[in-house]
Amino acid sequence: MTVLTSEQKTIRQTAKDFVAANITPRAAEFDKSGEFHAYLLDAARPSNIFAMAVPKEYGGLGYSPLTQALVLEEWGYGCAAMGTTLSASILSMEAVMIAGNDDQKKRFFKPMLSAEIGAFALTEPAAGSDAGAGQATAVKHGDAYVLNGPKCWITNGGMAKVLVVFAATDPAKGVKGISAFIIESNQQGLVMGDREEKLGLRSSNTVFFSLHDARVPAANLLGREGDGMRIAMETLDLARPSIGALAVGLAQRCLDECVAHLHARYPAKSYPGQTLQFELADMQIQIIAARQAQHHTMALRESNLPFSKESAIAKTLATDVAMGVSSRAVRLMGSHAYTSEFGKFMRDAKVMQIYEGTNQIQRLVIARSVLAPPKVAAPMMKEGAK
Amino acid sequence: MNDSMAVKNLALAQRAREFTDEFIEPIVAELDRGLVFPKSLIGQLGSGGFLGLVLPEQAGIDGSGFVGHLEFVRAISASCPAIASIVNGHALFAYAIDHWGGAEQKTRYLPGLAKGETLGAVAIQETGPTLGLGADALFATRQGDKFLLNGTKAFVRNAGAADNYLVFATMQPAEESNGLTAFIVAAGAVGLSVAPRLDTMGLKACPVAHLTFKNVIVPETAVMGGVNCGSVIATQLLSVASVAEAAQTVGIARAAMAHAANYAKHRVQFRHPIAGLQAVQTMLARIATDAHMGWLGVLQAAQLIEDDAPFEREAAMVKAFIGRVGSNMLIEAVQVEGGMGISEVVPKGIPFSLPLARMFRDIAGTTLLDAPDDFPDQLIAACIA
Repeated sequence: MTVLTSEQKTIRQTAKDFVAANITPRAAEFDKSGEFHAYLLDAARPSNIFAMAVPKEYGGLGYSPLTQALVLEEWGYGCAAMGTTLSASILSMEAVMIAGNDDQKKRFFKPMLSAEIGAFALTEPAAGSDAGAGQATAVKHGDAYVLNGPKCWITNGGMAKVLVVFAATDPAKGVKGISAFIIESNQQGLVMGDREEKLGLRSSNTVFFSLHDARVPAANLLGREGDGMRIAMETLDLARPSIGALAVGLAQRCLDECVAHLHARYPAKSYPGQTLQFELADMQIQIIAARQAQHHTMALRESNLPFSKESAIAKTLATDVAMGVSSRAVRLMGSHAYTSEFGKFMRDAKVMQIYEGTNQIQRLVIARSVLAPPKVAAPMMKEGAK
Repeated sequence: MNDSMAVKNLALAQRAREFTDEFIEPIVAELDRGLVFPKSLIGQLGSGGFLGLVLPEQAGIDGSGFVGHLEFVRAISASCPAIASIVNGHALFAYAIDHWGGAEQKTRYLPGLAKGETLGAVAIQETGPTLGLGADALFATRQGDKFLLNGTKAFVRNAGAADNYLVFATMQPAEESNGLTAFIVAAGAVGLSVAPRLDTMGLKACPVAHLTFKNVIVPETAVMGGVNCGSVIATQLLSVASVAEAAQTVGIARAAMAHAANYAKHRVQFRHPIAGLQAVQTMLARIATDAHMGWLGVLQAAQLIEDDAPFEREAAMVKAFIGRVGSNMLIEAVQVEGGMGISEVVPKGIPFSLPLARMFRDIAGTTLLDAPDDFPDQLIAACIA
């Protein structure tokens, strides 16, 4: 169980208030149009919340991973699409946090201090779950790298001030030949595509873009050549519980809406039947389990303990729970909830099972860990034992 | 079902698919915008004989009957389940008149319904906890040899498009404890208004809206099945409707599965098509199994309905099973297609259609409970003796 400090409780309450004032009221409007919710960046600027993951020495709020998760859950409660803008920006920062030098950190984090956002560009048309199969290349010319290739499904891509882009510096080496670069949105040779029309997380900006002889200074290489895949995987390990936090918020919102609907529709004295009570209880069981799984991951991370498996579990559990709870809520509330506005929860949850590593890829990671040689000295079942 | 009937149903399903390919598939994206009612398409369905399948004596075409109707519903749901919703709403109205209507009502309404010249709709739901309770309930008051209707019916499919509504109202003052009465009300009745259509998550070509009645006067001849006899009729109609909706669910799921399977054969990751991955095969196999089991249940319940045999238990089981697997089948099918599965508009340069996002929105509308406590399990449990 996680016991929150009084400071964390205050931060959570502030986030709740911000969400109630700025996010929840406009979620449906932006979901409908699919336009990017640019107003949100202005609304968030005074609080510096887009810099919550930026360390204090770089001018950010320096929130701990758990504290960030508390904020993200509130944002997910209001609108998972808007929450995704924040979490995807943090995802890009994590890459710089892991591999960036002091100068790179200063440059990359500066926009976040004025509520600008970042993007993390790994996926390509031929490289989704198989992240190492990318076609993008980076060839060194003097003090610069020349980048070419396509990137797709890039969250925040069209709105980001700074992007972390992955490209092969040595294609012959496969995943060991991939490198990570910082590029800025005004990069020459960066051709931005239109935003994608998605089923869910509609106002979260998603784009295809391509690089055409984009000359990126060598000083923008993160880490060393060939570090790219390691940086990407470590970054995703760090970021996955954030998606879990958004998903827990979404699921809790669905349950709360469902209960509010029951109270509004039914007279105080008519208590729902046991089948319905158990449905609601199951939803709450799953939401709390998902929240704890994700807080547990954060606690491991804050204690410098391994958390890769737990991170995969936190993301998978929470997004599966969000999908299940939202879909049950729609069915229970029937025609009342079969609207574009309420259906948003289902549509958003569906995307969350797919992005930042599909839940199938997470299960592969988890299974690999489960199948590792057993640590027990004397297994209970011995061959030939009676 | 005997063999010659099975052959007729197959032929009917084949005709339905041909109709769908020719008339529905080309305009599926437009239908999903739901801006206008597809009046001409419904007219074409009528001339094709597809709107009278539940009225075999009237329509007299091969394969008609409730089973044939559901073969048709499943076939068009593969392309546009919203059109199936329109047809189901219409067929439910026709089924009701055929079963509970008086001789005069049958003569007056059935021929037009069978030919698709007139469109029907059924209005049962209200927003209160149960029918007749709550501020918005619809009440009927006797006035001499006429009735006065006041109140609201909620979430009416085909609202605004139907020529006639079958409306369930609570008698006031209550003549019996369970005083529901069914009335046939013409769309043009004075005092009947249709609220703006709801912005539904999916099934968008089928308009859903509230109907408001303000001193609507209906004659005694508009009563269907007798005063205070409406409760049993409403229950049976909801039961029939859940089987018909399940045929939509199965139609959507099977089409989505086929699309996802085809996608998986072409999508290369880790140097091979993902269709070769055991995890992907398992996902597709589970959709196939759920859809198959669901369809067997639908067929059996449909046969009972067609034979006028007791069907409530089987229909409840169909509703319970389809409710459990319905949306899950699309949740998994979309997952197989990943980023492509969540695309509402085909990204530039992609040479195939991407219908799964729409199907995900559509299928959720085929498994809704009318009230939060409306689980079919209680009815099933009551049948276990």
